[in-house]
Amino acid sequence: MTTDIHALVGAYALDAVDDVERAAFDRHLRECENCRVEVDELRAASARLADGAWSVPPPGLRDEVMTAIGRTRQLSPAAPAKARRDASRLRRLTAAAAVVVAAVGAGTAVYQVQDHRVRREQGIAAAARASEARVRAILTAPDLVTHEETLADGGRVTVASSRLHDAGVIVLDADGAPSSGRVFQLWTIRPGGAPEPVGRMIPGQTAVVQLVEGLPGVTDVGVTVEPDNAATTPTLPMKADVKLV
Amino acid sequence: MTERGSSARRPDHLAAVPKPPPDAGELLRSVARGDEKAFGRLYDLVAPRVYGLIRRVLRDPGLAEEVAQEVLVEVWRTAARFDPARGSATSWVFTIAHRRAVDRVRSEQAATDRNLKVGAASIDTPYDSVLDEVSGRLERQQVRHCLDDLTELQRQAVTLAYYQGYSYPQVAELLNASLPTVKSRMRDGLIRLRDCLGVEVTA
Repeated sequence: MTTDIHALVGAYALDAVDDVERAAFDRHLRECENCRVEVDELRAASARLADGAWSVPPPGLRDEVMTAIGRTRQLSPAAPAKARRDASRLRRLTAAAAVVVAAVGAGTAVYQVQDHRVRREQGIAAAARASEARVRAILTAPDLVTHEETLADGGRVTVASSRLHDAGVIVLDADGAPSSGRVFQLWTIRPGGAPEPVGRMIPGQTAVVQLVEGLPGVTDVGVTVEPDNAATTPTLPMKADVKLV
Repeated sequence: MTERGSSARRPDHLAAVPKPPPDAGELLRSVARGDEKAFGRLYDLVAPRVYGLIRRVLRDPGLAEEVAQEVLVEVWRTAARFDPARGSATSWVFTIAHRRAVDRVRSEQAATDRNLKVGAASIDTPYDSVLDEVSGRLERQQVRHCLDDLTELQRQAVTLAYYQGYSYPQVAELLNASLPTVKSRMRDGLIRLRDCLGVEVTA
């Protein structure tokens, strides 16, 4: 991005950079072994500043956390894959992700950002808010890999996945809704497996932010138009086929 | 039974022998294997700093509690992904906590509502004397001593970013300094801090 990107190393270690700078710096780190060592050391130094912020946690926090971990599945120790990224696509997605994150974070902002398309679908914003923290964590993951395809009838679908989180986010943004009584349907296809329907959309819905656990194991994300009942197999041809490998 | 504090210094009623103070790295390895009891001990070790750091950045105890819970559950969830070659277990935990707190500050755009409290004058955070175990106090003193060792501009650049969650352009504005200057002070400030603290990363 810039020739002196490494000058950001201190700001990066202090989390004082924006999403675009962070992504650029992550890319820089993948190409520079010495820089990774410097970042690790500066992060270790900055993390020690937490020693200066000691404070008694609220009394109920321990029980809440212990209860929460009791129902939280742990990630396997799978090694993060080498991320391949296209610079211009990454910049676009980082910007899009920032919008999505801002939208789900702010709740009502989603209406301003995606204007008329989303306005009639309050359910989308509610669902997005429910998984807000997870979506944000994935979209800001250091190993985020993104793929994007245009939809046959206008619009696009973006797939962002993180092995670190073993999850991903599918962002569908169609220019128009399917004809009446029909809905968009997302599918994930795994090696040797049948296409699995993901999420449910309702007639008139043209945009969705869909969280998918285990997405890094998926080879394709498909978009089809289906009758408004639970489809079990995709109706061909697909409106988009995002190849993830 | 009281749930806070360092249980490691109390005899564990389930164990035959009192245990030595826990090592965060060992605990995290046990946590990665699904050991909830180890997670409880890790919680006691890091929660005051995780919560304190997030509260310092967010300035809102309620929100800080919510984010601290998210962070601690994230530690449980991703424990197996911790890579000891890239730093210590506590460093890993506090990095997650800081990043999450800063993300929340930015997304809520709460920066405008917060007091612009420049400098490290507010380095003291109230804490329960029960938690004031010797090693913790020494660590705090060391951090304070090393911060004092920085130049004024280095210290302010580092502490404004770390404790207040400001981006480097915001820090530049607050300090009335240029962007390149602030970037440099953050970098050389952290380098000096690293050297003073004797931080080592075993690659």
